[in-house]
Amino acid sequence: MATEKADVVIVGVGGTGGILAAELSKAGMKVIGLERGPRHKTSDFAGQDELRYFQRQDLRPNPKRQPVTWRPNANARAVPMAPLNYGNQVGGGTVHYGAVSWRFHESDFRVRSQTIERYGASAIPEDCSVIDWPLSYAELEPFYDRAEYDLGVSGKAGNLQGRKIEGGNIFEAPRQREFPMPPLFVDNSARIFEEGVKKLGYHPFPTPRAILSEPYKGRPGCAYCGFCSTHGCHVGAKSSVLVTTIPEAEATGNFKLVTGAMCYRIHSDNSGRVTGVSYYGPDNSDNTVEAEIVILSPFIYDIVRLLLLSKTSKFPEGLANSSGHLGRHVMTHIGGRVFVAFDDRYVNMFMGPTAQKHTIDDLNGDNFDHGGLGFILGAQVSVQGPGFDAGPIAASVGMPPPRGIPNWGAPYREFIAKYFARHAALNAQTDNLPFADQMIDLDPDVRDAWGLPAPRLTYDWRRPSERARVEYMLRKTEEIGRAMGATHVWRANERPGSPGGHHQGGARMGSDPKDSVVNRYGQSWDIHNLFIAGGSIHPTISGFNPTLTMQALAYMTADAIVNRYKKSPGPLV
Amino acid sequence: MKSKHNESRRAFLVSTVAGAGAVAAGAGLAQTQQPEPVADHTHDNGGKLGAFLNQDDSAAIEAFTERLMPGAPGQPGARDAGVLNYIDLALAGAYADLQDFYRRGCAALEDHCRKTYSKSFAQLTAAEQDAVITAMTEGKAPSFTWPTSQAFFNTLRTHTMEGMFADPVYGGNKDFAGWRLVGFPGAQPVFTEADMASREAFTRGPILGLQAQVRRS
Repeated sequence: MATEKADVVIVGVGGTGGILAAELSKAGMKVIGLERGPRHKTSDFAGQDELRYFQRQDLRPNPKRQPVTWRPNANARAVPMAPLNYGNQVGGGTVHYGAVSWRFHESDFRVRSQTIERYGASAIPEDCSVIDWPLSYAELEPFYDRAEYDLGVSGKAGNLQGRKIEGGNIFEAPRQREFPMPPLFVDNSARIFEEGVKKLGYHPFPTPRAILSEPYKGRPGCAYCGFCSTHGCHVGAKSSVLVTTIPEAEATGNFKLVTGAMCYRIHSDNSGRVTGVSYYGPDNSDNTVEAEIVILSPFIYDIVRLLLLSKTSKFPEGLANSSGHLGRHVMTHIGGRVFVAFDDRYVNMFMGPTAQKHTIDDLNGDNFDHGGLGFILGAQVSVQGPGFDAGPIAASVGMPPPRGIPNWGAPYREFIAKYFARHAALNAQTDNLPFADQMIDLDPDVRDAWGLPAPRLTYDWRRPSERARVEYMLRKTEEIGRAMGATHVWRANERPGSPGGHHQGGARMGSDPKDSVVNRYGQSWDIHNLFIAGGSIHPTISGFNPTLTMQALAYMTADAIVNRYKKSPGPLV
Repeated sequence: MKSKHNESRRAFLVSTVAGAGAVAAGAGLAQTQQPEPVADHTHDNGGKLGAFLNQDDSAAIEAFTERLMPGAPGQPGARDAGVLNYIDLALAGAYADLQDFYRRGCAALEDHCRKTYSKSFAQLTAAEQDAVITAMTEGKAPSFTWPTSQAFFNTLRTHTMEGMFADPVYGGNKDFAGWRLVGFPGAQPVFTEADMASREAFTRGPILGLQAQVRRS
C-alpha cells in the first residue's frame, strides 16, 4: 500500500497518454503514468514472428485475463470477444499498429450539418445519434501538423493551403505545409492498384504512415521487412510513442512510468473534483496516486468501465455521466474485403509495411454524391495484406479461397501454393454511424483477473443504412479488382454483427453537456480536473484510421492544460 | 538422419494403429528372441511419444492434418512439415487450455469412425477420411457434442496452417517445408526498392527463420 503525489496522473500510457506525458512533463508538471501492460524495447522485436504477433496477438490484451464481452442486442447473452483489437503495453496500439496516419476531412467534423445541408435531414437514419464535432478541422490543423512533425509521418500533400496536388490525396483537407518526409517506397501491389483505379477515374496516392521513409530525429528509415502491422518494428522506424514521446517525457526527469499497474478506481470528493486514482501493482499491491489532474487514456472499454466503477453518492451514475451518454454511441470500422489473385505476375504482398499501402479517397466521406444511394458517408479503399499482416499465416487463416475451392485438401494446397505470392487484398474501410444503443456497460456475470466486472459491448452494425454502404463499397471494390487485371476477384464472407476494428466513442465530445461527456479539450463537463484522451471522445469515426486524429487532439488537450488550465483551473469551455 | 527418424516414427504410428505392436528401431531383434504378446506394449512408448498427445490421438491428428494439407510430389504437406509435432508441442504449452478440446474431439472422431467404418480414422482410406471430414464440416457427425464437429474441424484447420507456416522454432514448418510450398522467404530483415518493384518471384537470398536459413536451389 503506497501513496504518491503528482500534479498529473495518466491512466494508460499509449498513443495519446504517451503524448500527454511528454507535453505536460516538458512544461514542468510532475506526471505519473500508469500502464497495465509491459514495456518493450526495439530489440524485443528482432524476432520477426508471424505466429507470435499476428496469430497469437502477443501485443494485445489477453482476453482471458482482461475479457471484454459482446452481445448483439440487450436480449442476448454476452460472450468474451477475441481477439481484442487494441494494445496492451507502453505505447499501446502504436507499437503494433499499421501506422496509417490520416487527417480527417473537413466534412468529417460536421457530418450532421453537412448531410442536412446537402441531402436534407431525412438522409440521416431516424435512430442515428450523430452530432457535429465541437471543433472544426481548421482549429485542429496546427495540432495535426504538430503530431506529424513530432512523431514522424511520411506522405505526400494533396492539398497545400488549398492548392490541389496530383499524386497526393486531392480530397484531403488543406494543410499548411508538406509532410516532414516523402512517402514510403511504392510496392508492386500499390503499382497494380494504381494502374487499376486510374482506369476507373479515381485518384490513387501512397497512404500517409507514421513510418520513417528516411532517417529522422535519430531513428532509421523503414527496412520494408513486411513484419509491420500487428508487429513491433525491429529497427524503430515505426513512429510509435514508445520510441518518440515517451523517451522525451523521461528525459525531463518529471515523468515516472509504472508498468503492470491495473487502475481500478478514480477518487472524487464532495466538491465535485477528482483527487487521484487507485491501482493494483504487478505484485497485487494496492496503491494510490493523489493528483491535481486525472487523465484517462486507456482504450475505450477501460475508460467507460473506470468511470462507471468510480460512482459515488454525488455521482450515482458514474463519474462524468450526468448526461447519461457515457458508454453510448460506440462505432467501429466494418467495411468489406475483396481479394484479387493474378496468373500473369507475382505481387509479393509480404514486402513493405502491410496495412493500407495505397489508397483512393474518392469514395470516402462526402467526396461523392450520395443522392439516391440509401446511405451517407463512405469508405477509404486501399490495397493491403489479407490480415493487415501479409505472411502465410495471415493469408491461410484470413483469406478464404475463391468460391468453388474448398479451404482444405489438395485443391486448397494448390490454391495457396500458386497464389500466396500472387494475391492482394483490397479493403473498403467504411465510416459507420453512431447509434445510442451501441453501448458499453458493466457485465453482470463476467469478471477479469483482478475481480473487476468486465466491460460489456452491446453492438450490431447490421442496420439498413450500414449494410447498404458496405454492399455498395464491395461492388465498387470488386470493380477495382477487375480493373487491376486480376485473374480471380472474390469477396470475403459477410461479417457477422460483431464489431470490426478501430472501436471509438463511448465518451464523446460535443458542444452540449446534455448529449456529450466531454468538451473539445476532452475535459469532463461535470468534473473540470478530469480529462479523457483517445478514440472514445470521437463523435464520428470517418473512413480513416483514427490514430493521428486522436494524437492531434491529445496535443490540443496538452496545449490547453499547459497554457490555460494550469494557470487557472476550471472549465475550459 | 532426421528424415530417417521421421520415417521410423511414421512406421511406428502406422504399425501401432494396425495393432502390430511397437516396431521401433531395434525391436526386430527383440521379436526373434522372445515372442511378444500384442497386449503387452501399453507402456512401451518406443521413444516416440510427444509432449501431450497419446499414440492413438497422434495417429489420428497426423492423418487428419495430412488430409487437410496433403503432400504431393514437389509440394510438401502437413506430414512433411511436422504439423503433428507443432500441435503436440502447442498443446503442452501455449494452447494447454485446449487440451480437453482435443481430447474430446479425438474421442468423438474415433467414435464416429468406429460407428461408420468399424475402424479408426488413421486406418481409413484417403477417400473415407475425406468423407469423414466433409461430414464434420456439414455437421453430420453426431458423435460430436462439445466440441462440435465444425469447431473441431476449424481448430484443426487453423492449427494445421500454423504448423505449416509458423517459424520452425515452434516445431512445425520443418526445413521450411511450408514456406517453400508457397514461396515465402521468411523473416527477411530488409527488402529493397527493386525487390518491391519486381513482378517475379523473390529468390534473392536464402529463406530465413529465427534460428536457421536455407539457400533455395
